[in-house]
Order: sequence, then structure tokens, then C-alpha cells
Amino acid sequence: MPPQNHSKTSFSKRLILNFKKHAIVYVFLIPILIHFAIFYLYPIGFSLYITFMKWSIIGEAEFVGLQNWINIFSDELAWKAIRNTVLFSLYFIVPTMALGLALALLINQGNKGSAVFKGVFFLPVVTSFVVISAIWAWLFRGTEDGLVNVLLQSVGIETQLFLSSSAQALIVLAGLSIFKVCGSTMIYYYAGLQSIPEEYYEAARIDGANRWKIFWKITFPLLLPIHFYVAIITSIGSFQIFDSAFLLTSGGPNYSTTTIVYYLYHQGFTSLRLGYASVLAYVLFFIIFGLSLIQKRYFGREVDYK
Amino acid sequence: MQKSARWTYIPLVGIALCFIIPFLIMVFGSLLKMKIPTGNPLLWFSEEVTLDNFAYILKNADFIKWIFNSTVITVIPVFAQMFFAAVLGYIFAKKEFPFKNLIFWAMMAVIMLPSQLLIIPRYIMFSEFGWINTYLPLIVPEIWGILGVFFVKQYMQTLPKDLEEAARIDGAGDFTIFFKIMLPLSKPVIATVGTFAFISNWNDLLTPLIFTTSQDMYPVTVGLASLLTKEGNFGVEMAGSLLSFIPTFLIFLFFQRYFVKGIALSGLK
Repeated sequence: MPPQNHSKTSFSKRLILNFKKHAIVYVFLIPILIHFAIFYLYPIGFSLYITFMKWSIIGEAEFVGLQNWINIFSDELAWKAIRNTVLFSLYFIVPTMALGLALALLINQGNKGSAVFKGVFFLPVVTSFVVISAIWAWLFRGTEDGLVNVLLQSVGIETQLFLSSSAQALIVLAGLSIFKVCGSTMIYYYAGLQSIPEEYYEAARIDGANRWKIFWKITFPLLLPIHFYVAIITSIGSFQIFDSAFLLTSGGPNYSTTTIVYYLYHQGFTSLRLGYASVLAYVLFFIIFGLSLIQKRYFGREVDYK
Repeated sequence: MQKSARWTYIPLVGIALCFIIPFLIMVFGSLLKMKIPTGNPLLWFSEEVTLDNFAYILKNADFIKWIFNSTVITVIPVFAQMFFAAVLGYIFAKKEFPFKNLIFWAMMAVIMLPSQLLIIPRYIMFSEFGWINTYLPLIVPEIWGILGVFFVKQYMQTLPKDLEEAARIDGAGDFTIFFKIMLPLSKPVIATVGTFAFISNWNDLLTPLIFTTSQDMYPVTVGLASLLTKEGNFGVEMAGSLLSFIPTFLIFLFFQRYFVKGIALSGLK
């Protein structure tokens, strides 16, 4: 029948027209969606499946139910890894924020050459952990001829063990991370400082407020969204710390620098307990997910992508 | 704030020195003929200056191979990421199609999960694919990233609609509009995406540590890490560090303003 025929051609015509109109969507989005499914969606689902398996990659996978999930509660080292990671965050987050804010305030003074200083403070951010760790290893050698020890001796402080001391190693690693990332914290704060209207400062100065008062009554509170944002970002980063623990201390001494990701790596790729390592990955995920929720809850509406 | 507060130069210079000294130690360390640095830095000035450390490390054929490997697993993803960020950014910013927002936010959510969650399933997958000790696991998953797409999308949304409409009236299709109008206008944001991709791929340690087990497949991060554990020679380690640092440093010098803008924009790292 002609009408049917007519609608048929118009359908295929519409299909072609529709394809032409959206050609770029089909040509590029569909392959990327397939890529997304293979390299992200599938592994995410697969990782949950692995947590129920005993799997060492060499042998066959064996279904063990919730055993891996139960094991973690009685695994002292897992708890120690979580504790170490939390401790690391405590050593790391506040100093990184304080130093980042201080640097941002300094370069925001309109000094000549502030772009150069910004570059210098930012340089470690783009340098690999491997390079910085190589230097740090020699700076913090726990022997008399370690460079930092020589400096300490010259002011009368005795030789420290640093990376070979279970009380100090984690602090040295935190120091390394502070050096590595405070430049990016500085940039967030710098962007925040630039968005504070100059009139506020002028008004305060007319009222006779001094620098200190201006900082605590105007600058600091107006940066509240940035404080919160930076706190979340740095804590998410600190829970994923791995490189320096792997390079400088291999988790030691006495497991004092075994962080969650280091322990995950060790369980998965040294002990070949892939199922158990996947549970550790989920522990990390739950922690970071929790942090992200806090971020969304208290900060989501205020994120301002300029 | 007050313009040009002179006193701030004192802390600025002081802190800047603390930041530069580790890098200076790397440069001097690589040039001095000593296996273990003498504790007293003043003694360094009496040390012999030499290029032996570089000669040693370059004669060690693996090191050149490591740099080459790093280049392969960095350059290909960088260009792929720039391209896909541009085209997907355009698609999500300017095109209408079913489930657009759902797809975009699903991608955002999944890729923002901690990457450690992907390592073990991907290790099992790639073992079965026979990809271990090839470039593939370090390149194929890295050909696009949602953050770059997000950047470009945000940027293109601010471009006026008139540009596109005028071109459409002249009979231009999506591809013409993308390549002739959107792409040239988005150069700065695409450069941001590229610089970020370069630094993160060149510096990555954990992923290649897992997916490469043979020495001649190491990128320079893993190679250098292996050098650190076995060499015990300060000069050689610093020479290796310096050589692996130079590409990062050059990219940093050329694209510094993009980094700073990108960091402030992205909230990453």
C-alpha cells in the first residue's frame, strides 16, 4: 500500500537525516561508551566479584564467600594500615593547608616577581614522587653524614634515625608530601583571595583595622568555602598515599609506613591475594566515598568553577 | 591588600630557597664525583666536577629504553586525550541526544572513583588479554579522561551560540563546525588538558609498576625506582633523577600558566 510505503521511506529518510544531524555523536560517543564499559564499568563490577574469591592469578579462582570481608576484621596489619593512613593525614592536611594559605597570602601582596615565586612553589607539584623521593632519601639519611642530620648537629641536636625510625618515618613521609603538594593548595587559596572584593579591605582600613585583624575578621572567614574544599581534596589525596611509602621505606620500619594503598599493593602483588586486596580497595573506596559525600553535602552548592 | 609590601620578600625568598635547594642538590649531586654525599655541604665545593654519572647512566642501555618507554606511554595518551576531550566536550556542550546528562554524570561518577579500585580487576583482565609487559595497559585505558571532557565542555558552553548558527546557515555540518570553529577557539583549554595528561602519565608509578615486570618495559619512574633500591650511588641516582625530571620541567616552563589555571579550575591533586 502506498501510504505504508511512504511512511517507510520517510522513516529511513528520517533515520539518515537524524544520523547526519548527530553524526559526530555516533562516530565518537559510541566507541567511547564501549571503551568506558570495557575499561571502567566492567572492572568495577568485576572487582566486587573478586572480593568473594580466593584468587592468586596463577591458580584457579576459588569461591570463598564473605571470607575475605570477614578476614579484614581480624587482620591486625590491615587495622595498622588504616591507622597509619589516618595518622599520615593528621600530619599532612593541616600543615599543607597552612603553608598553602601562607604562600598564597605572600604572593598576593603584589610583589614584583610573584609569578616566579608562584612557579618555584608549584614546581614540586609537577615533579614525580620518584625524583623527590630520591633526593629526600639522601636528605633524611638516618646516619651522621645525612644532610639534615649535619644541619641538626650544627645547632646541637643529636643524630636522628628519620626513615629507619618507626616513630619518625611517617612524619618524614608527610613532610615530603607537604613539600610536594602545598603548591597546588597555594593555587586554590590564591584563586580564593583574588575573588575577595577589594572594597572589604578598604572599608576595614578606613575603620582602622590592622593587618592581623583584617586577616582574621575578613580574609580567613571569607575563605571558608576554600578551606573546606582544600581540606577534602587533600584528605582524599592523603588516603591514597603510596609512592613515597613504596620508594623510601617499603612500608617499614616495623610496618610504621604501611598505608592502605601500600598494604593493598603488597597483598595483591607480592602475596598474590587478589581477593583480599580487592576488599582493601573497597575499604579505601568507602573512606573516600564518605569524604566525597561530606564534600557534596556541605560544599556541593558552593563549588564555583570559574 | 596593600600594593608591594616589601617585608614579604623576606619570607618569600626564605621559603623559595627551601623549595629550590632539593632541586639544586639534584643538579650538583649529578655533577659531582662522589658515591655518597659528604655530610657537610661546604665540602661539596672541593669535589671534582664530572659528567661521568651521566655517561654511566646513558651507557646503561636500559635507561635510554626507559625514557623511550615513558615517551611512548605519555605522548600517545596526551594527544588522544586532547582530541577526545575536545570532541566529547563539544558533544556534551553543544549537541542534544537521548540520555545525555545521564551518560555524562555516570562517566563522571565512575571515573572519579579511587583508581586503586580498578587495579586488581584490570590486572586480571590484562593478564588474560596477554597485555602484561606491553605498552597496551598503559596506553589503551588512558586514551580519554572525564576531567578533560569536563574542562572542554565547561569552556565550550560559554562560547556564543551565534557562531554555530551562522555556520549552520551556511550549510556546515557538525564536523566542519567542530574542526573549523570549536577546535581553534578552544586551544587554551585543550592545552590545559594536554599538560595535565603529560604530567600525570610521565610521573605515574603505581600503574606501570604493576603492568610491567620486565626491565626493558619499565618507564623511567619504575626504572629509576629500581635504580634507587640497588644502585646506592648518589651521583648516578641524581643523574637519573635529573634526566627524568628535565621533560617535566620543560613542559612546566612552557605551559605553567595553563597548569595554574587548570589546577584552580579542576580541584584535582
